[in-house]
Amino acid sequence: MKFKVFRSNGEKSYYDDFNVPHEPGQTVLDALFYIQEKLDDSLAFRYSCRGAVCGSCAMLINKVPRLACRTQVERLKEGEDNPDIKGYPALKEGEKLNENSLLVEPLPHFPVIKDLIVDTEKFFEYYQELKPCLKTEGKPPEKEYFMEPEDVKELEEYTNCILCAACFAACPVDGENPDFRGPAALAKLYRFHIDVRDQEDRLELADHKDGWWACEFHTNCNKVCPKNVPPNVAIGKARAELKKKKDDK
Amino acid sequence: MEKEILFEHDILVIGGGLAGLRAAVEALKYGKDVAVLSKVHPLRSHSVAAQGGINAALGNTPDIGDDHWEDHAFDTVKGSDYLADQDAVEILCKKAPEAVIELEQMGTVFSRFANGKIAQRPFGGAGFPRTCYAADRTGHNLLHTLYEQSTSGDIKFYDEYFVTSLVEDNDRCLGCIALDIKEGKLKAFSGSVILATGGFGRIYNRSTNALINTGDGAYLAYEIGASLEDMEFIQFHPTTLYDSNILITEGARGEGGYLRDREGKRFMKEFAPEAMELAPRDIVARAIITVVEEGRGIEDEYVHLDLTHLGEEKIKERLPGIREIALDFAGVDPIEEPIPVQPGQHYSMGGVAVDTECQTEVAGLYAAGECACVSTHGANRLGGNSLLETVVFGKIAGRKAAEELDDKNAPESLFKSHREKDEKLIKSITTKDQGIVYSEILQQLKETMFQHFGVFRDGEEMRQGLDKIKQLQARYPEIYVQDTSLKFNQALVRSLELRYMLFISEALALGAIAREESRGSHYRKDFRNRRDDEFLKHTVLKKEKDSIKLEYSSVNLGQFEVKEREY
Repeated sequence: MKFKVFRSNGEKSYYDDFNVPHEPGQTVLDALFYIQEKLDDSLAFRYSCRGAVCGSCAMLINKVPRLACRTQVERLKEGEDNPDIKGYPALKEGEKLNENSLLVEPLPHFPVIKDLIVDTEKFFEYYQELKPCLKTEGKPPEKEYFMEPEDVKELEEYTNCILCAACFAACPVDGENPDFRGPAALAKLYRFHIDVRDQEDRLELADHKDGWWACEFHTNCNKVCPKNVPPNVAIGKARAELKKKKDDK
Repeated sequence: MEKEILFEHDILVIGGGLAGLRAAVEALKYGKDVAVLSKVHPLRSHSVAAQGGINAALGNTPDIGDDHWEDHAFDTVKGSDYLADQDAVEILCKKAPEAVIELEQMGTVFSRFANGKIAQRPFGGAGFPRTCYAADRTGHNLLHTLYEQSTSGDIKFYDEYFVTSLVEDNDRCLGCIALDIKEGKLKAFSGSVILATGGFGRIYNRSTNALINTGDGAYLAYEIGASLEDMEFIQFHPTTLYDSNILITEGARGEGGYLRDREGKRFMKEFAPEAMELAPRDIVARAIITVVEEGRGIEDEYVHLDLTHLGEEKIKERLPGIREIALDFAGVDPIEEPIPVQPGQHYSMGGVAVDTECQTEVAGLYAAGECACVSTHGANRLGGNSLLETVVFGKIAGRKAAEELDDKNAPESLFKSHREKDEKLIKSITTKDQGIVYSEILQQLKETMFQHFGVFRDGEEMRQGLDKIKQLQARYPEIYVQDTSLKFNQALVRSLELRYMLFISEALALGAIAREESRGSHYRKDFRNRRDDEFLKHTVLKKEKDSIKLEYSSVNLGQFEVKEREY
């Protein structure tokens, strides 16, 4: 299988072609390790769990932001697992898709440090800005706070986020407006907002043009999310609540 | 002249997983200047992959009565095949309920019973449903909670820093030297050190561990005079996904999953007639290998973990992550068909020897979590006790390091000589024109470890294995990296990790060869029985000049009488 891989030292960029022998069950991450171990040890990419839970290896694979460890080469070759995402300018940059090879590039909307490694500082800055930390009030109970199983169910949809940044890279709005806090940070904010234990007024934190109101509901975020988190749903509900609050005033 | 010590802190936590973050948060409460160094972003730490849960005698399950920490302690000691130190187990189990409640109040979204309390499920080797969980993503939820806590305070994070040595003077740890992976530069840090670097599972070729689990802490501690304990006890998890060896939680059996052979027979009846699938991990792992070796496996490689009878609703609610893993990595939907599973390396019971306050023998050096050996797990850890250990002992380590802090003189010249030594090693790897690549040695090491120090062991085979390890060590000086760039030179980092792994493999081998008995996870075909007279003791490995000295230390026994294990 031919892999076309984006290379950069942060200044100059180009593409390298590598031939990687195919094996059953091979993931894109496996192929990258094959390249690093056998063909070119200077290839750089982030990795850790190789089981789609740590969020290290998000990259642009065949023009879709995905986790390399979760992406099966075979299924990609067969044209399966291709989410129907809305196009955006960053996808038109660089090499074009080509039937004969698999295209591996760094996540768009982030500065490249080296090869497939990007600088996600901004992503985590936005996340921190929205104060993602439970704030309770008064003396805590002696044991746990009680929670309804149903409430937990809704919360889980958002706590499942692994902060891999695939959504940020897939969001057409983030491409156009780098100040947009992005789907992950907003989904996290919403997760604390609906937590029955939390007593902080939270929605206001993103009640501005680069927060809740910047979203255009392309839903790419949900479509590329390896954990099926729906930031678009959270944003829609937050907006409705804010609007109602203003109307009630 | 440029300053030698670039970063000065009170406490340096090495590792950003659960133990490290819990330690950092605690030390901060004491008003200390705390930094966390991690070779990856903290959220990428291996703690994130823990699935099934965290044990605590909360007794939340409706209608079955109360649970007690003593029962938790008994199960833990029995599960450890009586090698755990009972004073350490007492701390672990007594503090478990408050540790879980604390995490809940920090924001962890645990699964709930209908009455609103934290839900608990049965787990292997436990006499009570004691494992609290957040679906099958407990580690992920806990790590994100502690990350939220630690980044909302005043803790300094150094992400993507790989520690190359600890700096010691007069049996006191004064700081460390670390490679800034992004810049490719070595930098000196001063402060007391808490090691929280996780286990060393990646010395095996079949492992559930993240690729970053290379035993860095154990090597670093040993080098400056701390002891390593019980390194031969390696847990093999019975159910890892066939081929990729991604973990399939014990929670799947806790929820009622069956193990079946090729004919569909529940073979655990032959090995643990009472506990069946919920016997401790060492027993279930040996059962699976035995069944496969008897020709009763599928494709002579694996057995089936059958969840189909649990029904779609239960699987989607309690085991959604397992379903995702099976679908993504094996193309199997557990609602419809059984999951192919085989045992794989999972956990390192041994590690840096510490007392119950996480202190090593070197002043100013502490260890907590999987990289440490307190010992709460002895010869075999129970599922649900590792997450517990990280938070209980991480907290203790943070407090102890903060309390024991004193003004110590960190001489610049000492840091300089350490840095120059590490610089020299790095240069020797990056400036050769030819040699051996790290992956060649690593691959052989991993195969050697699985083949010679796996689920079933034998004296002669292990001695051959040790010879192979020594041969690989001898080739290490020939290692070279083609990449000459400083920035993110991952081949260099992996070569440095390999050096640690080669040492740890030897330490493990020495302990395993010397222990002429079978106990917990250490099962020898040439000594099939437990031999308490001679081996109810901890293996202790210490640096003596250039070789490893092997000694034994006594086990802290207590209220639970040493007995045969039956399940």
